[in-house]
Amino acid sequence: MLRTETLSCRLGRSLILGDVSARFAAGRFTALVGANGSGKSTLLRCLMGIVAPETGQVLLDDRPVAGMRRRALARRMSYLPQANVCPDHMTVGELVELAGFGRTGLFGSVSGAERETFRHALQTVGLEGAERQRVSQLSGGQRQRAFIAMVLAQDTPLLLMDEPVNHLDLRYQYAVLDLVRSLVTDHGKTLIMVLHDLNLALAYADDVVLLKEGRVLAQGQAREVLDAPRVAEGFGIETRMREIEGRTVCLPRGARMVDLP
Amino acid sequence: MRYAKVSGAALLLLLVAALGNLGIGASPIPLPEVLRALFSFDLDSLDHYVVLSQRLPRALIAIYVGAVLAAGGAVMQGVTGNPLASPSTLGVSAGAMLGMLLSVFVLDAALPMQGFGALSGGFAGFALTLAVARLTGLGPDPRGLPLILSGALTGMLLAGLAGALLLTDPERRAEYLGWLAGNINHYYVDRLALFWPFGLVSFAVLMALARPLTLIGLGRERAETMGVATRPVMRLALSAVVLGASSATAICGPVGFVGLVVPHLVRPFTGAHLGRLLPVSAMAGAALLLLSDVLARRAFMPFTLHTGVLLELVGGICFGVLVYRLYLRVEARR
Ligand SMILES: Nc1ncnc2c1ncn2[C@@H]1O[C@H](COP(=O)(O)OP(=O)(O)OP(=O)(O)O)[C@@H](O)[C@H]1O
Ligand SMILES: [Mg+2]
Repeated sequence: MLRTETLSCRLGRSLILGDVSARFAAGRFTALVGANGSGKSTLLRCLMGIVAPETGQVLLDDRPVAGMRRRALARRMSYLPQANVCPDHMTVGELVELAGFGRTGLFGSVSGAERETFRHALQTVGLEGAERQRVSQLSGGQRQRAFIAMVLAQDTPLLLMDEPVNHLDLRYQYAVLDLVRSLVTDHGKTLIMVLHDLNLALAYADDVVLLKEGRVLAQGQAREVLDAPRVAEGFGIETRMREIEGRTVCLPRGARMVDLP
Repeated sequence: MRYAKVSGAALLLLLVAALGNLGIGASPIPLPEVLRALFSFDLDSLDHYVVLSQRLPRALIAIYVGAVLAAGGAVMQGVTGNPLASPSTLGVSAGAMLGMLLSVFVLDAALPMQGFGALSGGFAGFALTLAVARLTGLGPDPRGLPLILSGALTGMLLAGLAGALLLTDPERRAEYLGWLAGNINHYYVDRLALFWPFGLVSFAVLMALARPLTLIGLGRERAETMGVATRPVMRLALSAVVLGASSATAICGPVGFVGLVVPHLVRPFTGAHLGRLLPVSAMAGAALLLLSDVLARRAFMPFTLHTGVLLELVGGICFGVLVYRLYLRVEARR
């Protein structure tokens, strides 16, 4: 299980995260939600140990992440950043293969099982047969899928993803979420995902951590955390929560919606 | 399979360039004669003597320098993500040049110590480039022109100092004037004999680090999360680049262009993975230097040009084209 203890973090001069104690239960899908600039990405980077907290710590199974070796960490946690860069001329196949570094290290060779993992990762995002294609020549959504495949190819028990379904068409939004959901349900993986769409969070996530201005406003089961008053407080918007087929959906309550016929 | 073809083609190109270099010189020597000189040397043949004592050393120097600089450029571009990074654009070559001259003109050092002079100079030049970039507040992003401008500034400064140093000793000046321009010449072969292990170590280190270095090309944070301790890897790799490039400068003076352009020429065929890019860049860089060496000697007959001067000329043009394509045109479009 991954958790933070009274974590605070400063970037430049300003305090970005203050006193964050969040728990991300093993074997569950936790959605990290909050307004733009509320510190979601920064929290993920702290969890990955690439941003050092000012106070507090990140604990992976009760061991501080700060003291762990990079490769050991890369075998346990993978991370999809919000923005991805890729050198010109790198191919999809190369990108995915690089994900094996944590396991093979400098001199290890790529095994057959490893290749199967890579192939499967590409298949999952619908990029099988695209190994030779340049990443820079893919569409925005295809590129995002290539990077998701890279994270899947890392094949770690814990996955941290920062807005992975951005740029994806609806089919692949659902496909990716279905996939990670099954990784959690069927394969016992732990998932932490930044999501902006509260409906997707309600549909796919077990738990929600709601951030506001660098602090945890609420955390717990998705349906309990995401009610209209909390959403109002966290995002400063009016919403309506409706039950459809036993599930909660969040609808806007703007005055400027299309008139009903 | 594709990579096998690409590296095979690069090897073939290298071979053709090498034989061409040996055969074409001030006076052409037919290919069979060149091969005979290499494999069954005849003491009485003047051609054989020329091939072995002059052209072969020159070719070996060209191969070494071309390979080391091209590999260095590929790594520097990969690690910084800056398409204009190379030993000559980031102050390494100029630093090594000044370090070498200092060891000769000030310390009167013997050849082995000159190598260390060049090496310390190379490190100092690179460090100075980074310091200039930091001091002038050019920002932490290594991808843009600011880093290259710092390199250019450093290069000019160090080259100016080197020029001034030459003036202090008119007698030795003539001897080093050619070297200063990048001169592939057979009488530098004793330097090659002394310094080649530097290049070998450099290349071996870079090849061993190819995977983590390629990952660093995806961004340092990204590489960290994929298991790369980026700080030691970058330090080691850049030190290896400086080691190789400084030894090249110690042998035949600063040679520009190769490190900058060869990786760009090769990447479309190999992809960006350094495990494939590095060996092919090295072979292509060697071939390029062999060919430009021939060109420098033949194109302006009866004059012969220093290879470094020719490359500087071509390199200046290519640099301009790259800057235009990678920065200016993009900005104009925005
Ligand atoms: N490198 C940095 N230096 C200084 N401040 C930063 C830096 N990176 C982010 N910030 C600030 O930290 C705050 C939180 O940023 P963060 O990227 O974590 O937000 P977020 O919740 O992921 O937002 P979004 O939904 O837009 O992705 C923002 O106010 C941002 O301006
Ligand atoms: Mg973010």
